[in-house]
Amino acid sequence: MASSVAQKRLFHEYKNLSTNPPEGITAGPVSEDDMFYWEALIEGPGDTPFEGGVFAAELKFPKDYPLSPPTMKFVGGGVWHPNVYPNGTVCISILHPPGDDPNHYEHASERWSPIQSVEKILISVMSMLAEPNDESPANVEAAKMWRERRPEYEQKVRDEVRKGLGL
Amino acid sequence: MHDDEPSLNIPSLLTLAVVSFFVLRWFFNRDDSPSTGGRPRGRGNVVDPAQVEQILQMFPQLSTREIMWDLQRNGGSVAATTERILAGRGLETPPPSFQPQVVMPANRPATQATSTTASTSKAGGQDLISRYNLSAKLASENAEAISATPSKNAWSQNKEERQRLLQKRRDEMILAARRKMMQKEQGNAQ
Repeated sequence: MASSVAQKRLFHEYKNLSTNPPEGITAGPVSEDDMFYWEALIEGPGDTPFEGGVFAAELKFPKDYPLSPPTMKFVGGGVWHPNVYPNGTVCISILHPPGDDPNHYEHASERWSPIQSVEKILISVMSMLAEPNDESPANVEAAKMWRERRPEYEQKVRDEVRKGLGL
Repeated sequence: MHDDEPSLNIPSLLTLAVVSFFVLRWFFNRDDSPSTGGRPRGRGNVVDPAQVEQILQMFPQLSTREIMWDLQRNGGSVAATTERILAGRGLETPPPSFQPQVVMPANRPATQATSTTASTSKAGGQDLISRYNLSAKLASENAEAISATPSKNAWSQNKEERQRLLQKRRDEMILAARRKMMQKEQGNAQ
């Protein structure tokens, strides 16, 4: 029963995202045979080194979605960012369930709850690209570079963006 | 002899008072009990705090008032309220006149702890063109060099058609970004 709730909800979200997609976002299941595995494309936000880029990510939903959040991971080209693990996994408060905050710096309202949605996750990730959260670096190297050698960080991001588009 | 009368009177008066107190209490309780029992459902403003707490644990972002309003309207069914939230319909905002009689403490115990462990996989340095097999489209793109109108608001009742539309939007997004980037670089080079 739980998984049928999840499926219904995911289908509903898929439909909303298709008929009324937010700017710069495309998302949906890789195949409707498995509603728990999605792929999303996010455009890099303007006025940032990510501008002009398109980033692919996979979303894996738990069977008890929306009680538990999905995981999100950038695939293909790496995303050089303080809050993205070197393997592409995104570390952002909205993907964390309320109980999962050992450091207590995230507000409960920022974290996952069933009233959030895929759309809100993707929009949050988009703004995360523009504004890294320095408090919880998932990629320590990138965080250090972002903090101390900003021009180098931006150049590296721009290079990754071009590479991602096959240029 | 005369001394004894008042001392006998006081205990009997006390006994009378105690007995009548219990009789009256029983009398009023009997009268009251049906209405107290019916009050939660009847007036509807009393909600079982345990139920509210139960829902709050699952959905800590929701407001207590909204949960109480919904519980009260569906006759105190946690399952119905949960179902409603999970279906993404959300809860209605209660009217200002709604005055729930239970005040919940603000603390919300957090129970879940799902590990967002990073699963390692073969995400190598693969670009989007090869990932989505777009090289063939690139060739035809260059010949046309026209920005296709993005097919937004794509939805179909047909499953295969939906799949195709999604893929098309994805391809267009990547190709459009690539085209833009190339134009920008050409502009910079000149």
